[in-house]
Formats: sequence, structure tokens, C-alpha cells
Amino acid sequence: MLDLKHELKLDKTRDEKARMNFVSGLRAHVLNDMASGMRAVWDAEVEPAFRRSRGRRPKDGPEVHAALKPNECFKFYSSLRVTTQDLVWQSVFPALERNRGALKEKAARLSRSSQSRSGKTRGTLALRPGFQVPRSVSALDVHLMAGNYDGEYEEGDLAAGSLYDNGLAVFSFGLMGQNLDDIGQSIAGFIKLKFPKLKPAKILDLGCTIGHNTGSWKDHFPAAEVHGIDVAAPCLRYAHARAQAQDRELHFHQMDAEALDFPDASFDVVFSSMFLHEVPRKGIERILAEAHRVLKPGGLMLHMELPPNSQLSPYDAFYLDWDGAYNNEPFYKPFRDLKPEDICRRAGFAPEKYLQFVIPSVGWYGEKVWREAAERPPSVDSDKTGRLTDGILWYCFGAFK
Amino acid sequence: MSASDPARRPMRRTIRGGRPYFFDDPAIDKILNMVVVLGSEVWTLRERLAALEAIQVRQGSLASGELDAHDFSTEDEARLAGERKEFIDSLFRVLQVQVEEPRTQPVKAKAKPKAKPKGKTARRPTSAAKGRKTRR
Ligand SMILES: C[S@@+](CC[C@H](N)C(=O)[O-])C[C@H]1O[C@@H](n2cnc3c(N)ncnc32)[C@H](O)[C@@H]1O
Repeated sequence: MLDLKHELKLDKTRDEKARMNFVSGLRAHVLNDMASGMRAVWDAEVEPAFRRSRGRRPKDGPEVHAALKPNECFKFYSSLRVTTQDLVWQSVFPALERNRGALKEKAARLSRSSQSRSGKTRGTLALRPGFQVPRSVSALDVHLMAGNYDGEYEEGDLAAGSLYDNGLAVFSFGLMGQNLDDIGQSIAGFIKLKFPKLKPAKILDLGCTIGHNTGSWKDHFPAAEVHGIDVAAPCLRYAHARAQAQDRELHFHQMDAEALDFPDASFDVVFSSMFLHEVPRKGIERILAEAHRVLKPGGLMLHMELPPNSQLSPYDAFYLDWDGAYNNEPFYKPFRDLKPEDICRRAGFAPEKYLQFVIPSVGWYGEKVWREAAERPPSVDSDKTGRLTDGILWYCFGAFK
Repeated sequence: MSASDPARRPMRRTIRGGRPYFFDDPAIDKILNMVVVLGSEVWTLRERLAALEAIQVRQGSLASGELDAHDFSTEDEARLAGERKEFIDSLFRVLQVQVEEPRTQPVKAKAKPKAKPKGKTARRPTSAAKGRKTRR
């Protein structure tokens, strides 16, 4: 199993490690093997039957969903996927529960010192007492994660951050890299290759959770001041301690991305990853407008996300929207039904400044293929875009201001 | 396995909103869940056994036939009984979800019982009719 590489990693028993290994292996089986099996049944049986009865091909994801729903392979795939998703978190709880005291002490030690482990960096953490977490976070257990990002059980709690870090390691079965930062590494590095003239002085990561992809920006742009914001205090406390343990100078703030507390034109890059699909539609529009406001002229807004339905085949649209229907992700499909170019325009970005990329995972494909993609990015319409499966390609969109 | 810290309020492990079910009878989803948890425990045992064997072989301390001939001490028996209970609880955890809600409801909920259809059809609550499978 992929084990965390930093000081905050949990002390696990042999059995706890084995359970996590099992869940990771099961996820890989469901998302690779069973998913491709379901696709084969679709192509061989369900789609032809649809065409015979309707005299045409399915036109969108919901039609594919409706046609597949009664099929046994969909039921087994879905039921096992839900069970496995639940077990991702359940496999972490026993070790986490036992380690909570030790975790808090380690984090306190790391956070108290104004310097990181080696004394080289000085990250910061700014929490706001009395901060109101939006209901879209506080009232939900997104992707079946009990307690969600903001669940707190004691003063100064950071257990939710640990649950996420360890759960993500099980969940991603290696596809997000040894430090769970493949998205950040693939994208920040790609941007540096693609835009060699871009020399950002200040970078902002929205909805950064535990800062696992925030740090990559500091790695690729060491001269920049890198900030991460989120609404969830336990994740931010953990993010700060994690960054200190990893020797990265990062600045975390408790803030709502819909109403940023930064002055106009103060950042060169505003980034987010896997964030917008967890935000209600109205919020997304406000967040993009805020990104526009805090960007300097010529600055870059970039969101790594699930690819939009408008650019995918009906089957792939259905496949990605599965989470929206069954994984406690109420904002997922509404987001994927939006056209990224439209929301960027409505937020004030000029249409000709719109851009999007499909970036091969640097961990999966290696530097060579990834570098080549900076010259010739692959197209969006692929069954690997934004899909956690072998050979994953990350999708992102945005615009220059 | 050492227990969690009794001084701390335990983290909630149940999902608000429950989980979706896919088969015509949600019992099938639940049984599938049990099979998977069982599979997880079987795998866990195999890893543990493999570790144990590797250590013993390295140390040259396991003689042939010794495992089969072994009987547990009274203390070991008692500890195993506790662990077996934990194992069984975890195997049937998926059934707890349905039980936990009425258990934690205040008593007044008893005074006004929800009308529920009796008999064979009672297995699916009415919310299943809304297109989405039952969440419990
Ligand atoms: C899926 S996580 C993002 C993960 C992370 N950025 C990554 O790269 O994997 C979504 C995060 O957004 C945060 N969030 C949700 N609504 C927010 C808002 N309005 N402002 C800031 N953060 C928000 C949540 O607390 C959560 O940590």
C-alpha cells in the first residue's frame, strides 16, 4: 500500500495496513477491471438494444444511465463501488482513532515552531474564530466521508485532515503519486513548461484541503509566495503541520472562496483542483468572479477539474456522472453540465483568453510523454480524461486576465 | 489491538444521508457488502500469516506440525473471544445503520409510529419510488 511519507503518518498495525491494501486493490479492480467489463457489456448488448428499440444512439449521459441501470453488471459495479468507497474511510478510522492524541501532539510541535523541521521555511496558518462554514460543506458527508472536511470533535482538532490524507492514499491506489500530489506536480510543471515567461510572485490555491497539491506550486516556482485557502479548519491545521513536516513554506488561510479577503490584483496565478465540482452552481460563478478580481492583469486562472459533459461521449459523460448520482456529490453533475468557456466569460475573462489542457499524469506516463504533451496536448474526449484509472489524464481550464 | 482513547469523543463513522442501493432488494447490496468485508478480513489474515511465517522461517523457530498441535492458553482464548466479537460486529456493521436511527430517536417517536405497509411489500420504503434507490 501507498503509505504517507511525512511525519504525520499514522502508526498502523499489520492488520490495519492489510485492510487498507485490500481496499486499495479492490478499488483498482472495480475502477479498472469492472469498469471496462461494464463498457464491454454496454457495447455488445445494451447499446445495440437501445438502438433497436429507439432507432438511434443515446444522446447523452442520462440516457446511457437509464439504459444501463437495470443491467446486472451496472448493479454489481455500483454496489461494489459504494461499498468500497465506504471502506476507504472505514479502513482508516481504527488507526486514526487510536492515534488522535499522538497526531495532535506531533502537529502542535510542528505548528508551534515558526520554522519547519529543517528550519528552512516559515509557513503560516490563519484561522478565524467564529468562521461560518457554508452549508454546502457543513451539511454533507461528501463522497461518503463521515464527518466531512469540517467535522471537529475537540478543540484544535485535525483528525478530519488525517482521515482525508490517509483515505486519499487508499482511494487513489497509487494514481495520485507517492505524496498524493500528482495533480499539482503534473499541472504546475506543465504550466512552467508551457509558459516560460510566466514568473509568478504570488500564487493562490482555492479549496486546498490539506495542501497536498498546493505545495507543488512552491516546488516548481520556488521564488513565489504560495497561499492556500479553505473553509475547513481541521484540514487547514493539518495542511499547515503537513507543510512544515515536508519543509515547504506555504501560507494557509480559513476563507470562503466566494468572498476572498485579498485585495484586487494581488495574485499572478489563481489555481484550484478538484474543487469546483463540490460547490453549488451559484457559488462557482462567484468564485470565478473573485478569481478575476484578485488576479493581476495578465495573471492566470486555472482549474483542474472533471471534464465537461459537452466535450465527452454520452458513455463517458454517464461514467463520470456516476459520482453525482451515488457518491453524495450533489453539485457534481450541475458543474459538469456547465460549459467552462461560458463561466469564464461570465466571470469577466475575455473569450479569446480562454484556455484548456489535457495533461498526462507525470507519475503514470513519465517525464518524456508529459513533456511532449506541452507541445501537443491530447484531446479531451477520451475515456482516460479526469477518470481515476490506469493512464489518467488531468483536465484543466481557465483564462488569462 | 489497542483500543481508542476513551477520553476522546469518538469520530462519527456513519454517513449522513446513508448509502444508495442498486439491487431490487437492498438486502442483496447489504449481503454483498458483508462478502466484501469478509474478503477483506480473509486477506488481512493471509497477510498476517505470511508475515508470521516469514519471521518464523527466518528465525528457524517453527517446526513442522507445531501449528496444528497448538492449543491457546486461557488468557489467549479470552483475548481471541474479544477480537472475534469485533470481527463479527464489523462484518455486520452495514445492518447497524438501520438500527441506529430508531435507537437514538427520543422516546416520543414511539408514540406516533409511522404507518408502514405490512407483509412482503414492506421491504422497500416508499422513497424508492422517487427514482433513486432506497437510502437507509
Ligand atoms: C475535493 S476537496 C479539494 C481537494 C484538493 N484541492 C485537491 O487538489 O485534491 C474540496 C475542498 O473545498 C473546500 N471548500 C468547499 N467550499 C468552499 C468554499 N466556498 N471556499 C473555500 N473552500 C471550500 C472543502 O472544504 C474541501 O476541502
